[in-house]
Amino acid sequence: MTVQADPRSDAGAFAGQSLRRHNGDDYVAGRIAYTDDLKLPGTTHVVLVRSEVPHARITVDTETALARPGVLMVATGRSLAEHVGPIPNAMDPAPTGGQALELRVLPVDKVVYVGQPLAAVVAETLQDALEAAAMVEVSYEPLPHVLEAEDALAENAPLLYESWGSNLMLAGTAGQGELEDLDARSSGVVRGTLRTGRGAPAPMEPRVYVADWSTRSRRLTWYGTTQAPHPLRHSIAQFLGLRERDVHVVAPPVGGSFGFKNFGHPEEYLVCVLSRLLGRPVKWVEDRASTLRYGARDSRIHYTASFDTDGRVTAVSCDLLANHGAASATGAFGMAFAGSLAMPSGYDVARFRCDWRVVVTNKGPWSPMRPFGKEAGVLLMETIMDAVARETGLDPLEVRRRNWVKPDQFPFVTATGLELDSGDYEGLLDKALTVLDYEQARREQELARQRGRFVGIGIGFEVLPEGADIPGALIGASDISTVRMDPSGDVTVLTGVTSPGNGNDTAIMQIVADRLGVLMDAVSIIQGDTDLCPFGFGNVSSRGILTGGGSAALAAEDVAAKLRGVAAGMLGCEDPDRIVLHDGFASVAGEPERALPVAAVAHALYTVGYIVAPDIEPTLEATRTFKMANIRHQADAEGRIMPFSTFSNGIYLSVVEVDVETGIVELKRHVMVHDCGVMINPRFVTGQFTGGVVHGIGAALTEEVLHAGDGSQVSSGFKTYLLPRANDIPAFEIQHQVTPSPFTPLGTKGAGEGGVACTMASLLNAVNDALSPLGATVDQLPAVPHRVLEAIRGVGR
Amino acid sequence: MISHPFAYRSPETVAEAVDLVSAAPDRTRVLGGGTWVVPECNRGESSPDVLVDLRRAGLDRIELVDDVVHVGATSTYAALMSSSIVDRHLPMLAAMARGITGGGQLQSQGTIGGSVVAARPQSDAPAVVAVLGATLLLAGPQGERRVSGEAMFEGASRSGVRPDEILTRLEIPVQGAARWGYYKLKRSASSWPIATAACLVHRDGSGSVTDARLVLGGVSGTPVHVNINSVLVGDGVGPDRVDEAARLAAASVHSPWDDELAPGSYRLAVTHPVARRSLAMALPQEDA
Repeated sequence: MTVQADPRSDAGAFAGQSLRRHNGDDYVAGRIAYTDDLKLPGTTHVVLVRSEVPHARITVDTETALARPGVLMVATGRSLAEHVGPIPNAMDPAPTGGQALELRVLPVDKVVYVGQPLAAVVAETLQDALEAAAMVEVSYEPLPHVLEAEDALAENAPLLYESWGSNLMLAGTAGQGELEDLDARSSGVVRGTLRTGRGAPAPMEPRVYVADWSTRSRRLTWYGTTQAPHPLRHSIAQFLGLRERDVHVVAPPVGGSFGFKNFGHPEEYLVCVLSRLLGRPVKWVEDRASTLRYGARDSRIHYTASFDTDGRVTAVSCDLLANHGAASATGAFGMAFAGSLAMPSGYDVARFRCDWRVVVTNKGPWSPMRPFGKEAGVLLMETIMDAVARETGLDPLEVRRRNWVKPDQFPFVTATGLELDSGDYEGLLDKALTVLDYEQARREQELARQRGRFVGIGIGFEVLPEGADIPGALIGASDISTVRMDPSGDVTVLTGVTSPGNGNDTAIMQIVADRLGVLMDAVSIIQGDTDLCPFGFGNVSSRGILTGGGSAALAAEDVAAKLRGVAAGMLGCEDPDRIVLHDGFASVAGEPERALPVAAVAHALYTVGYIVAPDIEPTLEATRTFKMANIRHQADAEGRIMPFSTFSNGIYLSVVEVDVETGIVELKRHVMVHDCGVMINPRFVTGQFTGGVVHGIGAALTEEVLHAGDGSQVSSGFKTYLLPRANDIPAFEIQHQVTPSPFTPLGTKGAGEGGVACTMASLLNAVNDALSPLGATVDQLPAVPHRVLEAIRGVGR
Repeated sequence: MISHPFAYRSPETVAEAVDLVSAAPDRTRVLGGGTWVVPECNRGESSPDVLVDLRRAGLDRIELVDDVVHVGATSTYAALMSSSIVDRHLPMLAAMARGITGGGQLQSQGTIGGSVVAARPQSDAPAVVAVLGATLLLAGPQGERRVSGEAMFEGASRSGVRPDEILTRLEIPVQGAARWGYYKLKRSASSWPIATAACLVHRDGSGSVTDARLVLGGVSGTPVHVNINSVLVGDGVGPDRVDEAARLAAASVHSPWDDELAPGSYRLAVTHPVARRSLAMALPQEDA
C-alpha cells in the first residue's frame, strides 16, 4: 500500500503525524472491555421471540413460557403498552409532510416482517431464556405481504400501517424546475435505470444493550453499543418519562458501527422498560441474523440527462424509489433525503431535479449506514458521465473535467442548494493519473481485448456532504469538549464525540497535546459517558474530528493561554505571548534556557497560585463548543436549506477483468485519491478509507440481502451474505490531497464515510467498460456473477 | 449458544459409537468436525437429543494399504494437506483440501468424512471423492458395509450413510500416473463453491487417453458423473475434443442446483467452462 501524506497539515509536534493508536495494545491484547464483557451482579437475560411470517395479526400466549424455570417475565407488545408509549423518533418524517411514526418496542397486534421481535423472555440465565422463548405460543392470522417498492405502491397493495392509507412514508424533491423539454434544448439525451441491492450493516460486534434501573437511586444506567450517548439519553428519558438527568448512558468501546449503532432501535428501549419493571439489570445480545435483518440501499433510480456536443451535461431529471422495509424510529429514511441532496455531486449542472419516495415493505427496516444514502447521488452522476462519454465519443475523464466545479468557482451552490466549501477536483484526477498511467492502461486494455480478455477501466468521483445539522433532530454540527490539566500536569479530554474504533480518540489527543505543548502520554481521553462528558452528538456524519477535534482545539488553546500566563510570571517574562509550550516545557521564545516543565507550571498554579499568579483564575480547565458557521436552516428564496457543512471528495480509478464465461469480476487495481481537508493522523484516515473501500467493493460485487417469495430472509450469515475477504482485494494505491476547509479551525472536512460510494461507481463503470465490446451493460449492483452473465447473454436477445 | 438441552458423547471405539447412534438415530447427530452441525444447532435449525463426537474414536489415521489410501473419516483437511501419503498418491485430494473455503480455522476443524456424510451440494468433497473412485466403509448395528460410486450420494444433503451408521473411513485407490484437474468456481473468497469439476485422465505410453473420468460438483443435488470416454479416449486429444467433452458435461446437468448464492440457470451456464478448465488442467495442450 502506498500512503503519501501531503505536507500541509495541522502542523504541530503530533498533529499531522501517523501516530499509532494510543490504546492499540489494549485492542490487540484483548484488554478492551466491550459491552458484552460487562458482568453486573444480578444480570437477567433477554431472548426475543421473532415473527415467522412477513405480515400477520398476532395473538401471543405466554403462559407456558412463564412457567418455565428461571423465567422472570414474558413481555409482549400488549403487556408493555400499559407502561410505555412509542419509541421517540430520532428523526421524524411528519413535519416535512411524511407519515406519523408510532413504533413500539414490541408490536401490539401485528408483525410486519419475518424476524420482527414480538415477545421478550427475561430469565435468570441465557439458557433459561432460550428454552422458554421456544415455549411462547404465537397465533398468526396471516395478511398478504409485499416485498418490492413498486408493488407496495400498487393500488391494492397490502398496507403495513393501515392508518397511513398507503405504503408511502415520505416523498420530496431536491432541485427544481420542469425538465420535460430536455430533448429540445440539447444535442443529446441519455436515459436509464440504476438499481442497488439491499445491503446490511456488518460490524464485528453486533448490538448489545444492558439497562440497570436502580430502585435505590431511581436512576437508569444504560450500557451498550451506541454512537450517540447523549442523544440516546434524551430519547430514553422521553421514552420512560424520566428526567434526563436520571438517565446515565455509558458507551463502552464498540467493534464497528457504520451508522448502525446510532439510536432508535426497539431493543435499546426494550431493555430499559424491562429493567424498570424488574428492578434488575437486563441484558440483550444480538445475533448475526438479527444484524443482517437491518438494511440500506435497495433503491431504484430512473434518470434522464441531456448534454451538448461538447460533453457538458445541461440538465438531469431523476426519480428515486427507496425500499425502506418496515418503518423504523432511527431516522434511516433520511438516507433518501441525503442521497437526493448529494446530487448532482460535484458537477456544475444548472438544471437538476430529483423526486424521491421512501416506501415501506415487509422486509426488515432500513438502518442508517454509511455513506447514508449518498451513494445514490454518486452512482447516478458517475453513470451519466460515462453515458455521455459513450454518446459523444469523448474520454470519460474528459467529460468529468468539462462538467465538474472548478477551483475558482468555490464556494459553489449546487442545484440542490448545498454550498460546496472548497475543493480541487482537477487536482484529484491529476494526482490519480500520476499513480495510474492512463494511456498505458488503455493500451494494455486494447491488447487484452485483442487476446479475448475483457479488461475495463472505471472512474468514480464522489463529493460527500458531511457535518450534518438536521433541524428538529439531535444531529447537530457542533460539539463540546472539556480539557483539564491536573496538578501533576496530566491532561484529560472529555468529549461528546465517540469513536467507532477508528482512532479518532487518539487524533483528538494529538490536537490537544500540540496546543498544550505536552507529550502524548500526558494526555488521556474520556468518551461515551453522559455523567462525565459534556453533551455531544456522538459519532455521525463524519464529525469526530470535525466538531469533536475543533472544540477540543479551542478548549486546549484556552488552557494553554492560562499556562502561558502562569509561566510568564514564573519565568519573569513580561509578555505571555512569548511563552512557547513545546515538548513538555514552557520556555521563553528564543531563550530555551529560560524554561520550566509544563507540569511544574500546572503544579505551581494549583499550590502557590497566590504567589506566582495572583491575578489568574486558578483553574486549568476549559470547556468550549465548536459550531460550524456555514449551516443555514432558514430556507432561501427557493425553499432550500443548507444542512451540511463540509464536502470531502475523492476520485478512484479501477481496473477490472471480467471472465465473460462465468461473470466473475476481478479487481486488479484500485487507485484512490481523497481530499478530506487537513489530516490530523494520515494513518487513521488511510485506515478509514481502506474500510470504506472494502465496504464499497462488497456493495458493488458481493453483498446482497435476499428474500424468498414467502418473505423469509435467505441471507442470514456470512456464508449467505458475502463480505469481501482479504484475498478478494488488491493492494490499494492510496493518495491524499489536502484542500483545507475554510470553515473549520483545523481545516478538516471529515473522513468518516469516504470510499464506499466512489468504489461502487468506479467498479460499476469499470465492469461496463470491460463489457463494452460485447454491447452489454450492467445497471444493477452488486454485479454478482449471474447478473453479469445475464447481461452478457441478454445482448441481442 | 445451543438453546436446547442435549447429551454430548465422545465414544472411544467404533462399536460404542454405533451403539450410541443406533439407539436413537432420529434424535442423534454425529460430529465429524462439527463445522456444519454445531452452527445448525446454534441457530436452532437442528435440536438433537444426543451429539456423538467422533474425535476420540480413533478414526483419524491415513495409511497406504496395497495401492489404496485408507483415509480415516475424522481426518481434517489440515491432516490431508500435511500427509505425505496423500501428497504423493492423492494429489487432487490435497489440492482440494488446500482450497477449502474458510482458511486455517476450517481446515483444522472440518473433516473429510463429515463433509461426505453431510453431502451438501455446495461443498468440495463429494465430487472429488466420487471421481477418485472412493469406497465408503460404514459401521452399523448389522456390521460393516461398503458403498461406492453413485450410491455414496442419494440426494442433496443425503449421503448413502444410514442414520444408524457411522462412516469410519474412505478407501481411495492411488491416482498413480493419472493426470488430474480440479476447477472450482466461487463468487468470492468467502463463497461456497458454486460449480466444481474434478477429472482424472489415464494415458498409455504413447500419450493416448485410455480412460477419462469427470465428476461435477455444486451444479446438482448430487455429484454428476459424466461419461466422457466416448469423446476423449484415443490419441490426439486437442482443444476441440476437450470442448466437446465439456459440452457433454453441461448436457448432463438435468436439474441444476439453485440457492441464495446462484440460480440454477447460472450453474447450468457455467458448467461448460468449468468442466473445460478442469479438463484443460489434466490435458495441457502442448500438442494442440
